[in-house]
Amino acid sequence: MPSSSPIEKFRHEALLYSGWAEFVAGTVPFIREGVKAGEPVLVVESLDKIEMLRVALGGDAGAVLFADMAEVGANPARIIPAWHEFVTRQGSSGRRLRGIGEPIWKGRSADELIECQRHESLLNVAFGHGQPWWLLCPYDTEKLDGSVIDEARRSHEYVMEGSEAGQSDTFRGLEASGAPFDVPLPDRGTSIGAIQFGPDDLASVRYMVARQADASGLDSGPTQELMTAINEVATNSIRHGGGGGSLRIWQEDAAVVCEIRDSGRFSNPLADRQRPAPVHTAPRGLWLANQLCDLVQIRNFVDGTVVRLHMRRGPQHRLTIVPDERPAAPNN
Amino acid sequence: MGVADIRVDFWTGRGDSIDDLVEAAIRGGRIYADKQLVVTRTLAPYGLCFSGEIDITNTHAVPLALSMAFVRNGEMHLDVTGLIFCDISGIRSFVDAAESMDGGRLMLHGLPALLQKVMNVTGWSDMDSLVICRCGVEQG
Repeated sequence: MPSSSPIEKFRHEALLYSGWAEFVAGTVPFIREGVKAGEPVLVVESLDKIEMLRVALGGDAGAVLFADMAEVGANPARIIPAWHEFVTRQGSSGRRLRGIGEPIWKGRSADELIECQRHESLLNVAFGHGQPWWLLCPYDTEKLDGSVIDEARRSHEYVMEGSEAGQSDTFRGLEASGAPFDVPLPDRGTSIGAIQFGPDDLASVRYMVARQADASGLDSGPTQELMTAINEVATNSIRHGGGGGSLRIWQEDAAVVCEIRDSGRFSNPLADRQRPAPVHTAPRGLWLANQLCDLVQIRNFVDGTVVRLHMRRGPQHRLTIVPDERPAAPNN
Repeated sequence: MGVADIRVDFWTGRGDSIDDLVEAAIRGGRIYADKQLVVTRTLAPYGLCFSGEIDITNTHAVPLALSMAFVRNGEMHLDVTGLIFCDISGIRSFVDAAESMDGGRLMLHGLPALLQKVMNVTGWSDMDSLVICRCGVEQG
């Protein structure tokens, strides 16, 4: 990896790797350079890769922060707040920082993959005008579909592949990164409920979700949390989405999914992933949904907004990152 | 317990008549009720008990009820054990009330675990004026 001069703005870079050796070659010098320059470094990766990096970094590992992506990014919408906290806490004196984050791996569901890709674009919006820091996003070209790699080139301004690093020819740009997200949301499997609701129907919305989620076998804790989240989304519809909307519920093997559609539109693409400020009027509903639910899908279509909340049905459906096979001793 | 045993600082009762106070003492008076929420007075400690659900259809009940509660030694006690649902607007109402207590404290007794979690993640759990108590609350 070429030695780099200090960056002057947020650098969002995709690292395309094939195999462990290329992963190490792309990440370890990047980390070491940051440690040597006194830059705080946070690596959000699978536990497997974290262990391997600790070994490869040796003594330098003590200067690096590590976090488990399966914890931080199980719901991809929680990743930007985590980076924001890192940048705010560690970069308060204006110093540069570095991060490595691999949110996409083989094993993410199709729904999660799309939300991860949206997350990658929103990183540009969240940090594009802020203090300089360098975020490297590894993508496994061996295991991921070509279309995923193509999208990585569109959501990252810079791409590193092997020893080549430079600007991406197909980067969609800052403005398009925050454009209304309108990737279609097809209907799901088995529908177990559907109602229209207005301003006086919040209790009915809650009861329906609680009853159907319980009947489908969702445990009481997640049921209560799903009900709390759907109430906030329905409240948004009543207040800002034309006075009401429609609720649908689906039962799936892995999750209970609730959807609310209304005729409103909102303009802040980061609305659901900004930690609410202490001021009372700061919006909190979509943020809360992301803290309580396993996945939140938000779409801004021409005719209105759709929000889908996913709650996994049991611990066996929790996100795990399946370790790859790897060589016995990585090269430094 | 007779009426004569009740110690009430009548002059900080914010205009409550003695009849209301006696009514509250004897009957555990209901001071607010709608189709999803009932608010009653408690005696030990003096305060209010919220039972039911709060959402945007009845958030106004919170400041309304709290205006009828007693503040003793700078503290207002609320039993929320029976608050089976409270949305963000409801929590915000309690936060607003706590902040307007002018140095006093709003004590929440029996706050359900989910509500605690909601307050934690929405940034309203670290307030001096809104206290989450672990003690039990007796109702008069």
